Amino acid sequence: MDLSVFHRRNKSQVNEKDIIVTSNFATQLFFSYFKELVGKEVTVELKNDLAIRGTLHSVDQYLNIKLENTRVVDQDKYPHMLSVRNCFIRGSVVRYVLLPQDGVDIDILHDATRREARGG
Amino acid sequence: MAAAAAAAAAEEEIAVKEPLDLIRLSLDERIYVKLRSDRELRGKLHAYDQHLNMILGDVEEIVTTVEIDDETYEEIVRTTKRTIPFLFVRGDGVILVSPPLRTA
Amino acid sequence: MSSWAGPDEIFLSTSLAGFLDKKLIVLLRDGRKLLGTLCSFDQFANVVLQGACERVIVGELYCDVPLGLYVIRGENVVLIGELDREKDELPAHMTCVSEAEIRKAEKAEREARDLKGSMRKRMEFLDFD
Repeated sequence: MDLSVFHRRNKSQVNEKDIIVTSNFATQLFFSYFKELVGKEVTVELKNDLAIRGTLHSVDQYLNIKLENTRVVDQDKYPHMLSVRNCFIRGSVVRYVLLPQDGVDIDILHDATRREARGG
Repeated sequence: MAAAAAAAAAEEEIAVKEPLDLIRLSLDERIYVKLRSDRELRGKLHAYDQHLNMILGDVEEIVTTVEIDDETYEEIVRTTKRTIPFLFVRGDGVILVSPPLRTA
Repeated sequence: MSSWAGPDEIFLSTSLAGFLDKKLIVLLRDGRKLLGTLCSFDQFANVVLQGACERVIVGELYCDVPLGLYVIRGENVVLIGELDREKDELPAHMTCVSEAEIRKAEKAEREARDLKGSMRKRMEFLDFD
């Protein structure tokens, strides 16, 4: 299917700046941030309240996460997770990620956020 | 010329043109965040993006739960507090963000 | 992009390729737990499970209900975990029961919950506040 016509029509309706902002769907800032944390221990808390601690193995543009050496925080409540040591977590179901404090320099974070806010 | 450009850049920095500019001005300040499933956060804003994904520091989380007593069937409202040193919050759960109160 | 990583990048990306032919547990958004062997996936985390079953757990009881070949839409996936063959899948105190028994236990649990809700409604006229 040729979608280029659709794209062209969209471009004529909105100005260039808006296109840059709206098409920047990938959360580049947090994607980069999580990539820096690979190899560190994090706790991922999901929207269904399941909390899993493990080593951050990888992350992608949707903020899907892979953890290694995982253990469920409340093991008794989730017996079916007993033998899971590696897992893939869909980014959309994440509520929080509890981060290590020695992750990334806070000034670098602030600068990166300001740059992202300017549409960079 | 350079001074004028710097002044323009500074003005750009403080201008509030769209909702998220208010959040930009709250960087490195303590903010209040209301989340879905009766959760509230207070913490220092270190990073955010256009989805309202955020990184907060020295966070206090308050969760409000309603239980029904087994015998009296009364509603029991409980609030649970916990502190988290450094936290990433996914933006799709955010209901509102309130910047710090400015008195000046 | 990164989900379609080539062979070299598989081990450094979130790609599910490393889970192919492994026995997995897939947690769904509605709380169900599916087990099976991964035979296919894509960048949306749509997955195909071979020899799938649903692990129904009620308290200390469980049952693996066979389902066959399942295609799961990625949207509904919460988590995909690799089951470590060296370890017990469930705690020793849990008992495997038949499908009929687990359905009965599910029904009892549901009814107990519903009763609590309806009792609360009936008591509302007392105005607790």
